[in-house]
Amino acid sequence: MVNNIKKIKQNLQNSNTLIKCLTDCETGESVIVLNVGAGMHQKMRLANLGVFPGAVIKKKNHAPFRGPIEIIVKGTSLVIGRGLALKITVQCDRSCAN
Amino acid sequence: MSCHLPKADSKLKNDSPKNTINIALAGNPNVGKSVIFNQLTGLSQTIGNWPGKTVEKMEGHLTFLEYHFNIVDLPGIYSLSTYTIEEIVSREYIVSENVDIIINVIDATNLERNLFFTFQLLELKVPMIIAINQMDILRKRNIDLDFEKLRALFKLPVLPVVAVHGIGVHHLLEKAIEIVRQIKTRYRFPDLSPITSFGKEVETKVDFLFQKVEEVISRNKGIQYPARFLAIKLLERDEEIIKYLEINSEFKEIIKDANKYCDQLEEYHGEDIATIISSEIYGNITTIVEKVVKTRSKDEKKKFSIADKLDHFTTHSLFGYVILVLVLFGIYLFTFTIGDFLGGFINDSFSVWTEQVYSIFNENNILINIFWDGALGGFFGALAGVLVYVIPFFFIIEILQDSGYLPRAAFLMDRIMHSVGVHGKTVITMILGLGCNVPACMGCRIMETEREKKISIALTSLVPCAAAMTVVMGLVGRYLGFGWVIILFAINFSVILLVGKILNKLMSGSCTELIMEMHEYRVPNYNVIFKQTWLRSKGFIFKALPIIIGLGILLELLLIFNLLEPINAILSPITVFWLGLPAVTGLFLIYGILRKELTLVLLSLFASNVGLTILELLTPVQMIVFSLVTMLYVPCFATIIIIAKIQAGNTLYK
Repeated sequence: MVNNIKKIKQNLQNSNTLIKCLTDCETGESVIVLNVGAGMHQKMRLANLGVFPGAVIKKKNHAPFRGPIEIIVKGTSLVIGRGLALKITVQCDRSCAN
Repeated sequence: MSCHLPKADSKLKNDSPKNTINIALAGNPNVGKSVIFNQLTGLSQTIGNWPGKTVEKMEGHLTFLEYHFNIVDLPGIYSLSTYTIEEIVSREYIVSENVDIIINVIDATNLERNLFFTFQLLELKVPMIIAINQMDILRKRNIDLDFEKLRALFKLPVLPVVAVHGIGVHHLLEKAIEIVRQIKTRYRFPDLSPITSFGKEVETKVDFLFQKVEEVISRNKGIQYPARFLAIKLLERDEEIIKYLEINSEFKEIIKDANKYCDQLEEYHGEDIATIISSEIYGNITTIVEKVVKTRSKDEKKKFSIADKLDHFTTHSLFGYVILVLVLFGIYLFTFTIGDFLGGFINDSFSVWTEQVYSIFNENNILINIFWDGALGGFFGALAGVLVYVIPFFFIIEILQDSGYLPRAAFLMDRIMHSVGVHGKTVITMILGLGCNVPACMGCRIMETEREKKISIALTSLVPCAAAMTVVMGLVGRYLGFGWVIILFAINFSVILLVGKILNKLMSGSCTELIMEMHEYRVPNYNVIFKQTWLRSKGFIFKALPIIIGLGILLELLLIFNLLEPINAILSPITVFWLGLPAVTGLFLIYGILRKELTLVLLSLFASNVGLTILELLTPVQMIVFSLVTMLYVPCFATIIIIAKIQAGNTLYK
């Protein structure tokens, strides 16, 4: 049973149509932002920087030890703390895969 | 250069030379604003604070074509919202009558994000010039911008600039003069509704609010913001603007309406209002970018440049940390080597002069004591003990800052810093602290919340600075070996971690998450670095030096009136009983508040006076205790002053 769930999870993670957390993205993966579930101020800041539902972002890097995530948005690289990245839901963007 | 703005009247050419033009430089961080500012104003700059705010204000002057220019370099910001104090300060300043013209500096390689800020500036309807910087890099990437089209769209002067080479910078001033002449006669801010209008649902609501706001404004003088800007901000539920308008009862109804519309929009779109407005603006920007950006050839994938490789290694999960350690060591080595050399030289000269002075005057001449030992001693002490470390340190930090390394350090350390209740940016100020706590604590102003600012200051002031390092190296390193130095360091950093943990527990609220731009590496601009180094050093000299001299006089007075002995006696329970140090160290530790390395200097002076070596005076354990106490007991006086000033948010020297 547990193994099955693990398998399903793994399948889901490999699948290209999955809705997932920004933290679960592979390095170099392009995704569309679905939802930013942060507080009002951080949401506004992210929106001002181009991270809002519908925007295409690309994960560039992440720091070790569950550190922050580096993304490319509108051609700029932006570092987002992991706690905040966890609140950003994304959908894999097939149209601009890599 | 052609521009569709009507040419200025030629008969105005003989205007009086006393014409002053006030310019505000505005733009995102790292777009080359300060390079342009430096190109324009040279060394005639002052660094101060915005009245009542802990935000740095950079101001400079120049005279060009018989006009006097007052240029203010606004802090680099991403938007005109209320996310940081910088944003609030900037928008209040721009609409004040102190600004004639804004020069909006844009990074050509990052057009979309930069234009977001431009679109917000446009709503303020202040005469504006758009300077598009880094055009050389853009052209190297085989991309071109259609400036004719940009001018046609924005109906404003749009100029290409290569700030690092000074290309196009003076065109900005020529344009500014042209506009100022028009302001006197027939300047009107162009109608930009074709490019700034939002989508239909949002626009109708903004327009409705706009009509109402304008009606009230026409009856009330003294509201500096344009009606449309207020309408948008009311719709966005901008707290500051609501506070600003609430005072007037006529706006009460409008604010209620705005709230209603906001709710409607949020329900309709299923998003919050900030997202709706931002995506509307970005939509408009995309339309413009599509029209003006011309890619010459869509050849090969971009090759890995040196900058990319550097970026890869400095953010690598293993090499990144190795490089970080090397950089930290490098900062310390650089500051220490130069500071030590210059400091030794100054100290030697001063002691030679002191001997000469006392050979002329009586040793008990009180006035000479106060003036020479107190005031000048303090002055040279500050020069030899602090300034010689501070200046090389400012220099190397400017290099790290300008090249873009510091955000990488923040990126790597963010996780670790979270455990003490702050995010990665505190690492930047702590790195600054390795050289000198004074600029480092000043740097803590970049933190977003009051809570983080306080924790950052606490942690940063505990970082052993170059002066504290002198004591550790000169005492423990010299007599007990380098291993003990490392141990002392480890203790110091554990204390920092511990203090962070405790503060994190004690202070309510939680840690803000990091949102930080990491711009590409670039070769630092030496012009900017030298000028910034000088500017910051100058600021330090004028702020800290008078206080240090004053304190020197005070200590000398204490000495003359034999008040230090009682203080030593009062302190001896601590020094002798708790710490197990000789009673005389109490005096040294008091001097150490003034300059940390004074503790060691005085100790060796005392030792030679009584004819002992330091090894005979202090046991190894006492040495370690003495060094540790020096590292941690209290920040030096200059740091205390700066912290007090930051906390008070005082207006500093202009």
